[in-house]
Amino acid sequence: MAEQLSQTQPLPFAKTQSRGMLYLVIAVLVGLPLVLPSATLACEILIFAMAALACNLLLGYTGLLSFGQGIFFGAGAYCAALAMIHLQLGLFSALLCAAGAGGLLALVVGALAIRRTGIYFVMLTLAFSQMAYFVAYTLSGWTGGDNGLLDVPRPEISLAGHTLVSLADSRHFYAFVAVLFLLIFMAARRVIASPFGSTLMAIRENETRAAAIGYDTRHFKILVFVLSGAVTGIAGALYAMLLHFVPLSNIDLQMSENILIMTIVGGTGSLFGSLLGAGSIVLLGDFLSDLWPRWLMLLGVILILVVVFMRGGLWGGLAALGKRLGHRDKAVAAAKEEVL
Amino acid sequence: MLSLYLLQIVNGLGLGMIYFLIAVGLTIIFGLLNFVNFAHGAFFLLGSYLCYTAVSLTGNFWLALLVAPLLVAALAWVVERVLIQRIYHLPHTFQILVTLGIALIIQEASVIIWGPVGKSVAVPAALRGVVVIGNFVYPHYRIFLIAFSALIALALWLLLERTRFGALVRAGSESTETVSLLGTNIFRLFSVTFALGVGLAGMAGVLFAPLRGAQPFVGPEILGVAFVVVVIGGMGSFGGALVGGLLVGVVQSVMTTLWPQGASLMIYGAMAAVILIRPYGLFGRA
Repeated sequence: MAEQLSQTQPLPFAKTQSRGMLYLVIAVLVGLPLVLPSATLACEILIFAMAALACNLLLGYTGLLSFGQGIFFGAGAYCAALAMIHLQLGLFSALLCAAGAGGLLALVVGALAIRRTGIYFVMLTLAFSQMAYFVAYTLSGWTGGDNGLLDVPRPEISLAGHTLVSLADSRHFYAFVAVLFLLIFMAARRVIASPFGSTLMAIRENETRAAAIGYDTRHFKILVFVLSGAVTGIAGALYAMLLHFVPLSNIDLQMSENILIMTIVGGTGSLFGSLLGAGSIVLLGDFLSDLWPRWLMLLGVILILVVVFMRGGLWGGLAALGKRLGHRDKAVAAAKEEVL
Repeated sequence: MLSLYLLQIVNGLGLGMIYFLIAVGLTIIFGLLNFVNFAHGAFFLLGSYLCYTAVSLTGNFWLALLVAPLLVAALAWVVERVLIQRIYHLPHTFQILVTLGIALIIQEASVIIWGPVGKSVAVPAALRGVVVIGNFVYPHYRIFLIAFSALIALALWLLLERTRFGALVRAGSESTETVSLLGTNIFRLFSVTFALGVGLAGMAGVLFAPLRGAQPFVGPEILGVAFVVVVIGGMGSFGGALVGGLLVGVVQSVMTTLWPQGASLMIYGAMAAVILIRPYGLFGRA
């Protein structure tokens, strides 16, 4: 019976499509450090892609516009850094700390914010974001306040006290971040393809209807918040390790806005889009910030253009382009991916 | 000590009236157009800088007070016609993102034009003195600020409550479709209202300039405060914006002597509490 069911469903086709997407991500992960001038830049892209991917779970798949992503990013950075400095925690325990801190704060922020919808929901995330910033600013004994938290170590991968790989070389660190990104990307795809993910999309499309069917939409929204917060926390911790430093700007509203903009420009509703968005904006910033310090202006223009004319973002645009060029199978794959 | 608090409270009233001017524009736009304007703080910023330019060109603050808000309103009118009219039908999420983009553009353009360092604007010569009552010293400019903003508030109230335009705005807030079906060009009404609301933010920027100067990155902070005021007072409520503005102004002013960082923590905490406990604000209708 079960076999018959699986035969009637077009599973094999969907599987090859998703494989293709996975190969594409792996190709990008391998290609990035070869193409870019520095591994540090490649690391930065992946870290923000992680944060954008987490943001995408909320915005693209559940329809929740959160200005609170900076809270989780900053909290992850501070927690991991403080745990490494004061408790001498290793790499994985520090990352676990960051995920825990991000997830826990997301639980609190999410549980409160989803009590309201629409503009009031956005306002609540905005209020919490501002409060987190001022808390970090006030606790300068821990966070270093305006000066930032200095001398953050980048621990090595070790097993039972033996150093396996040192991450001091930024190429080694990139490899570690890339593996972590791949794991998170695959996990996120699993989540989205699961019944849980379908329910999130049902909430995005019509929350009243999802609730009427019998889903407790609040639980789903809180859970996706926690997932998003944990992943964003990990991204924050990795960023602290990359810079050896946690600036106060990691937790401010600008950080939330940047993560949101990367997500939207890349394309909401496509996980690969988040990688695309983070990559293009980090690169644009890196390329333009020396030539033209006011490049944020361009970001404003791009944001408006994407929202008004190209709702699918860069990924949606590429998919449409593929369709127009006649690669019908590619476009179908893209459309499938967008649905996922 | 007591007189210090008294001074801070009176100072807070002046600041609160500026907050009222910003917030009332935001709230009128939200009430009639059901539009969330994240560029409001950026237009405030533009008002401050235009004031600086006008004062440094002509040396006349009064001219700046007249011209700068009009220029800001004119720009808002153009932006509304070109861009914002296309996104009224979109969900609030998209409106927020587009106006966030506009805010970024205005902020960066201001830095390009006026430089990354803030500009200070002198208090107009006629208002440079202070009033001395006992051991209580108070600058003329702040008295003017309170009186002038109160006058604007009164004029605005008369405009909204006693004129045909105001009636249309209020009716449109109730039901845009009905007003449109009764033969009013609703899009023209939208444009004018948007320009009016943003112009008020520009005027607040002009009035703010002699106090703190024109600072390039003050937009997001002002926007945050404006949202706090609007949320506390109730979205779309005129009286709510007035009381909310004064409340936030006084709290901020008093807190600066007690615990400066705590001021922001407190007002955003209050905003979150109001949304959670009384989502329609202290004065909004359910």
